Amino acid sequence: MKWRIGSRLLQRPEARLTAHFFGAMFDFGILTPQGADSFTHMLLGGVGSLIAVGLGATRVYAAKYAALSGNATAEPYRKAVLGDDLFLIGLPMLLVGLVTILVSHSVFPDERDFRILGPLPVQRALIVRAKIGALLLFTGMFVGVIHIALAPLMLLTSVGRFREHAVLWRFGAWVLSSLTASVFAVLAITALSGVFMLVLSRTRFHSLTALTKSGMLAALVICVPFVFHLPGLGHPMSARAEWLMLVPPAWFVGLQRVLLASADPWFVQLFAIAMAAFVLAVSVVAAVYIVLFKHFEWLLLRPPTVWHGWFRQRTSDSSNTTATSAVSLPARLGSPSFRAVQRFTAATLTRSQLHQAVVLGLSACGLSLALSRLVNSNFVDHIGSNNHPSLSFIGGVAWAPFALMFVCGISIRAAIALPMTHHANWIFRMTESDEGRREAMRAVNHVVTAYVVGPSVVLAVVVMWLLLGAVAAIMAGFIVSAVGVVFVHFVLLDWRRIPFTCSYLPGKRLIAHTVVFGVAAFALFTSTGSTLVGVSTIKPSIPLAIASVLFALGWFLWRRRLAMWRETPLIFDDDLPDQPLQLGL
Amino acid sequence: MLEARGLTKRYGGFLAVDRVSFHVQRGEILGYLGPNGSGKSTTVNTVVGLIDPSAGSLRLDGVHILDDPVGYKRRIGYVPEEPHLYTHLTAIEYLMLVGRLRDLPERALATRVPELLRLLLLWDSRYATMAAYSKGMRQRVLLAGALLHNPDLLVLDEPFSGLDVTAGLLFRTLLRMFVANNGMVLFSTHRFDMVEQLCSRVVILSHGRIVAEHEVASLRTGGGPSLEEIFVRATGQDDFTPLARRILDVVHGA
Repeated sequence: MKWRIGSRLLQRPEARLTAHFFGAMFDFGILTPQGADSFTHMLLGGVGSLIAVGLGATRVYAAKYAALSGNATAEPYRKAVLGDDLFLIGLPMLLVGLVTILVSHSVFPDERDFRILGPLPVQRALIVRAKIGALLLFTGMFVGVIHIALAPLMLLTSVGRFREHAVLWRFGAWVLSSLTASVFAVLAITALSGVFMLVLSRTRFHSLTALTKSGMLAALVICVPFVFHLPGLGHPMSARAEWLMLVPPAWFVGLQRVLLASADPWFVQLFAIAMAAFVLAVSVVAAVYIVLFKHFEWLLLRPPTVWHGWFRQRTSDSSNTTATSAVSLPARLGSPSFRAVQRFTAATLTRSQLHQAVVLGLSACGLSLALSRLVNSNFVDHIGSNNHPSLSFIGGVAWAPFALMFVCGISIRAAIALPMTHHANWIFRMTESDEGRREAMRAVNHVVTAYVVGPSVVLAVVVMWLLLGAVAAIMAGFIVSAVGVVFVHFVLLDWRRIPFTCSYLPGKRLIAHTVVFGVAAFALFTSTGSTLVGVSTIKPSIPLAIASVLFALGWFLWRRRLAMWRETPLIFDDDLPDQPLQLGL
Repeated sequence: MLEARGLTKRYGGFLAVDRVSFHVQRGEILGYLGPNGSGKSTTVNTVVGLIDPSAGSLRLDGVHILDDPVGYKRRIGYVPEEPHLYTHLTAIEYLMLVGRLRDLPERALATRVPELLRLLLLWDSRYATMAAYSKGMRQRVLLAGALLHNPDLLVLDEPFSGLDVTAGLLFRTLLRMFVANNGMVLFSTHRFDMVEQLCSRVVILSHGRIVAEHEVASLRTGGGPSLEEIFVRATGQDDFTPLARRILDVVHGA
């Protein structure tokens, strides 16, 4: 009987539509059905790994709290508990936030939904309800799994000798406060996405929406290593450091403590911030859904001419110069083909959500690695110190720019390899010529070089300036640039495409092969580069000579690349490797 | 003159185009008619150089396209059947991209692009990305892109789909004036009325082969069969009543 009722419920249009929207959250628009299936399997594998990691971490926590319980005083234990509470609330917030950003393209009904579902006998309210239902299901699934994975850790922090509350009470307070924090993360990101969608949709500023989402993704990725520093914040939490009011997980630790009947004004204040932020996020999301529900036609189906953007309207729109100035480039910047490809690449990277997510998301991993290394090496403590830091310390700090460079190289190559409206590439195919191809590839080279070398040089110069002064900074910049121009050659090895114009076949190599090779290359690259910079602070002549040789090599490789590009036709369809992979078993 | 001789395209065992020969003279619009799957688009893709023929030759003004493929492509403008555009770009950005890829000087682009957008009634939407454009608007952008470099030969694959009546009339006039200025047009379409109104000759394709070729003027003079009748006879597609009846039977649950 129950089964029949359940089956009948699942057959209702609302349930079917919710299931459809839920499935669409796994679809990023570029995957084939087989690819989408693999992605779902990968996601489920990730969930399983998360639970496994959570269980594995219990051993570390068991040892930590056994040691703390053996202390003479309760203070270290309480500080550790505060820090771990921050971590056990902050980690789910971050992971759920990342997942929400990844599916933010389908959290609100969009033009496509209404154009497809509008002519069908389906009420608009049903579409909106189904969207909300799908979002709740999707994020609820992740919130549930993450909390199941972290539950053993929370229990271990609650059973020590110096515990202040009953285990179940503390566990219940954590579940409630952490769930609220995770829901807040979902709501905050949904609210931001919604506001941008309402304000900016169907104009050329649509790109701002994509840019904001990619920015949020990058910011959250950068936060990943810092979340693992949260357990160490027990001391500032107990010292009521004011800056913690800017750290959202701390707000919900306030909620947890209020639920545990704490009357401490500090926790009450954090609790008040948490509640205010939560109510604000709920209100904005509710308002977005209501506005969308009531004024859908105007918001998403309005003709593109209604709104041109505020600063465009200030200028005289009648002149040709105004219209083309945004896309005009001085002739000295290169040939027409060079300008065409450079502009096309920049426009795609600033407007396509997918490409931005790849380039900024992966680069953020690099930046987070670099920043994490700097934080772990107590870099800030050495700024302005009169003592010359040790060679190993400088090498450790100089590792950061090379790590960033390596990851930026991978990210930009991955992004420009992904297609954008693949069928529109006929215009490039129709206009391909030897000289044009060389110029187009020169533009690719410029973009890649700027992205790979630029941020790393800036990071190296800033870090070394703060640590050792201007001369060391200039030398570090020179060495990082030299390594960068050679590294670009490896990033563009075998590259014969106009960015975004070639179809994309994933999985051309074994994942294990790629990972092992990638990790080995990363280790070799970062250690060699950081050693060069480190040695340059003591004995500059050798690293500078090596850097000069690298510059010469980079120039030679660049000339060779240009010649190769001129002679070799471009490819527009990805191909599996023609040689079978030798496993060597 | 564009001259195709024995043009053949094979995909493995499948023969998409089988020894097709035709020519387009200066000042002429050649209609290229055929049912779906007859090989029209394959021929068009071969003519514009997007795919290489398995056999046969293409010459423009006597020069084999393989002798100077880049020079050949510079002389043609193309409007594809589907409005495949980079819709994340604005119309201005797209036309600038096309112009630069066609090696047009920046100064020429700065005047031609805005003027074309104005004349094709796209000026008001110039700051919107083409993702927000209707099919007709995208078609107009494609036509602007095809004309931007003042080509000798226009290859049009269903260019009127999605266009409103006004834009359709404008395009017809434009094409007539283009060929009056010694241009050539290869006009692939499904629409008999367009062929009758615009083309001087028509080639009918079926199963990858040319099955009929006619002077359109002779059809207009009357007396003989209409273009539709010629098409139906040539392609072997006669009475559709039984098929229509079966479809309705399925819908009615008979």
